[in-house]
Amino acid sequence: MTELAQAVVNGLQMGFLYALVAVGLTIIWGLMEMINFAHGEFLMLGMFGAWWLSAAFHLDPLVAIVPIALMMYAFGVLVYRQLMRRVQGGDPFTQIFATIGLLFLLQNAVVAGFTSDYRFVNDTLLQRLGGAKLQVLGVTFAVPLLLAAALALLLFLVLYLLIERTEFGLALQATSEDRDAARLVGIRPQRMFSVAWGLGAALVAIAGAILVNFFSVYPQVGLQFTVLAYAIVALGGFGSILGTLLAALLVGVIQSVTVVYLPPAFKDAFVFASYLVIGLLRPQGLFGRF
Amino acid sequence: MARIALIVGALVAIVYPIPLQLQGTTYYQTVGFLVLLNAMLGLGWNVIGGWAGQFDFGPQVFFAVGAYTSALLYVKLGVDAWLALPLAAAVAAAICAVLTYPLTRLRGHYFAISTVAIWMIAQPIGATWEYIGAAQGLFIPVKARSSVVTSALSLQFTGPTKALGYYYAALALFALTLALMAWVERSKLGFYFRAIRDDQEAAEGIGIDSRLYKVIARSITAAVFGAGGVLYAFWALSVFPEQALELNWSTLPIMATVVGGIGRLWGPVLGAVILIPIAQIMSTTLGTGPLAGRGIDLIVYGLIIVVIAAFRPTGLLSLPWSRWLRLRRPAIA
Repeated sequence: MTELAQAVVNGLQMGFLYALVAVGLTIIWGLMEMINFAHGEFLMLGMFGAWWLSAAFHLDPLVAIVPIALMMYAFGVLVYRQLMRRVQGGDPFTQIFATIGLLFLLQNAVVAGFTSDYRFVNDTLLQRLGGAKLQVLGVTFAVPLLLAAALALLLFLVLYLLIERTEFGLALQATSEDRDAARLVGIRPQRMFSVAWGLGAALVAIAGAILVNFFSVYPQVGLQFTVLAYAIVALGGFGSILGTLLAALLVGVIQSVTVVYLPPAFKDAFVFASYLVIGLLRPQGLFGRF
Repeated sequence: MARIALIVGALVAIVYPIPLQLQGTTYYQTVGFLVLLNAMLGLGWNVIGGWAGQFDFGPQVFFAVGAYTSALLYVKLGVDAWLALPLAAAVAAAICAVLTYPLTRLRGHYFAISTVAIWMIAQPIGATWEYIGAAQGLFIPVKARSSVVTSALSLQFTGPTKALGYYYAALALFALTLALMAWVERSKLGFYFRAIRDDQEAAEGIGIDSRLYKVIARSITAAVFGAGGVLYAFWALSVFPEQALELNWSTLPIMATVVGGIGRLWGPVLGAVILIPIAQIMSTTLGTGPLAGRGIDLIVYGLIIVVIAAFRPTGLLSLPWSRWLRLRRPAIA
């Protein structure tokens, strides 16, 4: 029983980290309905940025979040303006093609610059708390993961308020609903799309800066997180910020509980099996509106 | 005009390896084999992705089903490759139909993720199922063949003629797939698929069962991928999960289809002819030498893809070729 409770707690903690990776995707893919296969490479850039700032300037990843987020916002806007805006005119599948090209380009540019070695960020603020643990009813909470989870929650709250409660957020939603109608009421869709790409890239880079506290960094690190992130966004329902958070927690719990009973190879398979079961019962995702 | 181009293309495809073979090089035959294999898979994916308009990111599962079925038939029952080929394609199509029917409840991106889900579930099954060799997979032993004819009849080529033999085997399968797809495109099936893609509600309004025809479209795709898997298995002489279920077996055909022109019969062919040699040639030129292992070839490859996508998002076949070709002719006043 304690083992199961511990698995659920571990899963929830991982779930918050997954939520961080997925939330950028919710904006670009879930809300604006554009496909970005290079999402994992944005994450990888965020992680490499945090590693580099730590190695070169002894900047703690938690501090590095600010410059990294700003840089990646600019990068996301650049990608939209120079590439995705042109691609939007073609078939939706062209977005896949273009972003796979971007994936090759970014991943291998980092391989060329830094090689494929695994890198670690040592002695960060969160890692110094490494030994600290909270014991509640025989279940152990690791303090660094708890802090990361709190950060993730804070980010989600800000984003939720931004999308659901501000005029800007409404304009973003209006653009995703009907581009031409949005233009009629004075919203500039191109601007909304570039802000969405900037936000999506900045958010996943922030996720990267937090993840370097717990995971090693290498150019191919993105894929394992993004495959799950895609499942999380679809599971939560398109365009739902709250749905993404809850789906991410669910995915974390499914993974860690699966590992208690089945070989570890099956942990992702079980997440996707759950997606299929839930999808067949509720084709629009858990919290999807359409 | 189109007929002349077809004949010239066929002649080039048949003849070009022969002088190379006589010179003793085999490299370009292998490149040709990969071009034809990916063109064939692209033709298959064009049915579900291009004509039926469904996001399918998991056709590599049926590539693996085909590869494993033929390897099992060969290793356990001694069934030869050419006999196993239609069986494997049929098994792939049947498994696809059973798996896809429930998935067609989902639409758009939700359907896309469900095809990825099947792939994610297939991977640990392939890696742990002892009967199909688990992570090590299955080895396909080569039986000694005395002559070219017996090699061709058993789809097992060895020695210096290996690349050439598989090139022509791939050419035959590719031509068969192309003919089949040309027929599908003009048949009632093809029109139903495109009707569902353009407006699913309207298609249902005139009595097309959209779920049934999506399943049929994806099963045709699966059959082609299954056949491709058989060819690849006998070329590679082994089948194992990481190879047969590799993501490239869906991304390369999809990219070939998109770059050539999605939803057009010749789109995947043109795309494969452009993309695969670029990737191969760059990995042998830029991928070796002082900068080896630094991914320079893939950076250039990625850059080429990004540039094509940015400047011709509707595919290369959508360029005004007929106007350009007419310009070259002498003007008749």
